[in-house]
Amino acid sequence: MEKTAEGIMSKDVIVTQNVSKTYGKPPLQVYALRETNLQIKQGDYIAIIGPSGSGKSTLMNLLGCLDKPTSGNIFIDGSDVSTLNENELARIRREKIGFIFQKYNLIPTLNALENVELSMGFAGVDSQVRTEKAKKLLEMVELSKRLTHKPSEMSGGEQQRVAIARALANSPSIILADEPTGNVDTKSGDNIMNILEEVNRKGETIIVVTHNMAIAQRAKRVLRIQDGVVQEGHV
Amino acid sequence: MFRDHVKLAIKNLRHRMSRSLLTLLGIAIGIMAIISLLALGEGMQQAVTGELSSLSDVIIVSTGGGGFSSFGGGGGSNGGYFTQRDIAVIERVQGIKEVSTQLSGVGLAEYNGKTTILSLTGMDAAVMKLQYASQTLDAGEFFNEGDQNKIMIGYSIAHDTFDADISVGGRIKINGEKFFVSGIFGKQGFGGVSSDSIVLMSSRDFQKLTGQSNISLIYLRVYNVNDAESIATTIQNAINQNHGKKDFATATTMTSILQTVQNIIGILQLVLVGIASIALVVASIGIMNTMLTSVMERTREIGIMKAIGATTRDIMSIFIIEGMLLSSLGGVIGIILGVFGSQALTLILRSFMSMGGGAFQLNPIITITSVVLAVAVSLIVGVLSSLYPAWKAARMSPIEAVRYE
Repeated sequence: MEKTAEGIMSKDVIVTQNVSKTYGKPPLQVYALRETNLQIKQGDYIAIIGPSGSGKSTLMNLLGCLDKPTSGNIFIDGSDVSTLNENELARIRREKIGFIFQKYNLIPTLNALENVELSMGFAGVDSQVRTEKAKKLLEMVELSKRLTHKPSEMSGGEQQRVAIARALANSPSIILADEPTGNVDTKSGDNIMNILEEVNRKGETIIVVTHNMAIAQRAKRVLRIQDGVVQEGHV
Repeated sequence: MFRDHVKLAIKNLRHRMSRSLLTLLGIAIGIMAIISLLALGEGMQQAVTGELSSLSDVIIVSTGGGGFSSFGGGGGSNGGYFTQRDIAVIERVQGIKEVSTQLSGVGLAEYNGKTTILSLTGMDAAVMKLQYASQTLDAGEFFNEGDQNKIMIGYSIAHDTFDADISVGGRIKINGEKFFVSGIFGKQGFGGVSSDSIVLMSSRDFQKLTGQSNISLIYLRVYNVNDAESIATTIQNAINQNHGKKDFATATTMTSILQTVQNIIGILQLVLVGIASIALVVASIGIMNTMLTSVMERTREIGIMKAIGATTRDIMSIFIIEGMLLSSLGGVIGIILGVFGSQALTLILRSFMSMGGGAFQLNPIITITSVVLAVAVSLIVGVLSSLYPAWKAARMSPIEAVRYE
């Protein structure tokens, strides 16, 4: 099922126009991100690299609709999200974006299956359909035997794979991964990247924030960010 | 969606089991207090109503109003007593089944060599039995219509007034005339007409003995209970006109006494429930505290839920459901505890009252209304006390929350 055909690649999933994010008021204004113009196509596999404090997290939060830009516009799947209110942003997050965090961020009181089902629950998916899909996703990340395990009963690598399954649950347009291998050993990290690349081969857009050069090298495109300025870069 | 929220809320409560249980206990105690005090109040209400409503066709006319006692130099002053003219007026009023009177005076009593002045009351046996129907007798029985030289005496006359105790059949000389004790009233508890220092004889004996007929009270029975109020007013006005005073007499129906007593019990009940509500307020602060702590602890969790698409409403609803689960579960446990609590309270109260020998039968009554009220109150408490924590949770920015360690 090769979906990396050029036809699909041509569609922009994310477009940013002169996006800036500042904190504080003049004259003490600090730019976290300056006049950023990006075009990210469907099926892209992008690594964002840069030193800490460079604006990586700010860019992630903006692309993930967790935050709004101070100026400029962000289009996700063609719709301008910079003007949306809290609840509309929540809808975009649950329909278009799948998050993977460095610290997995699973809900500690829920087991693997329930964690994967949760975002589908917020999307109003019927409970039978939801369980069916969650099982399939956990099977894909090779956790069929861990369905009823709580996060505290799983290894870091396993938790991160549950998080990947959760991110894919609502079939988002974009997967945003923030240092997905930052808290796991090399072997598990490799496994996680393999899964993400497998997902990418099926047509999913993947954006990985990292300062691990080995991880960044695996991406198709690298964006380097320094002092709030984003540039096409090389590893 | 709602079912998912409930599931999440239950999981969270179970995750913090001991804290949830303690919070729940707070509500349970508050509800228990309200349920048992309401049951007790309802029990009192019904006990009193049951006793008084059998007398609902009775009107009592007494000399109320202003200061006849200040004129009452020689005891024989008729300023404070009803006259035969008053009785005649009453007998002309339509709808009255019977009229009887209570006579008052004093006499010199002698027993076992000791002499003392006692106040005497004369009334017909039928009236006596009616008026003292709720009174238990310590010993003996009521004298009957037509009995002569028989008296009923109060508990303290029998035991405290003379050097020796008086028992049934005992002989007391009053104004030189011999009287036999037919019955002794039980010691008066709280409430009711005090009978502890009473000396009761028939109206005929009273008139024979004192040569007076000072009517201090008039008892009437009406045919139709519904007319009692209007008849009472008519009589009161007529007697007042006879004496040329606006407030010489007061005619009171049992219904109005009943109402007064019910009002007093109602107020008492309100005060008790008010006190119990304090427990509930404290409990609701407990819920709020628990929920706020929970919100703080779950800052990260809330952020994650928002990041994966939970709306403000989802978060609000999860926390409010948690609060409602806590309080409604506490409410149900409180109702069950309240059933036992009201029984215990009644037992304690009964043991107090039995010292007074009252015939008052007190049983706690738990009404549907009080159960519904308790459930409603606990739900409202749950919503109100989780509203602020829920709002605080929902307002969190997902970035801050996810970053929170």
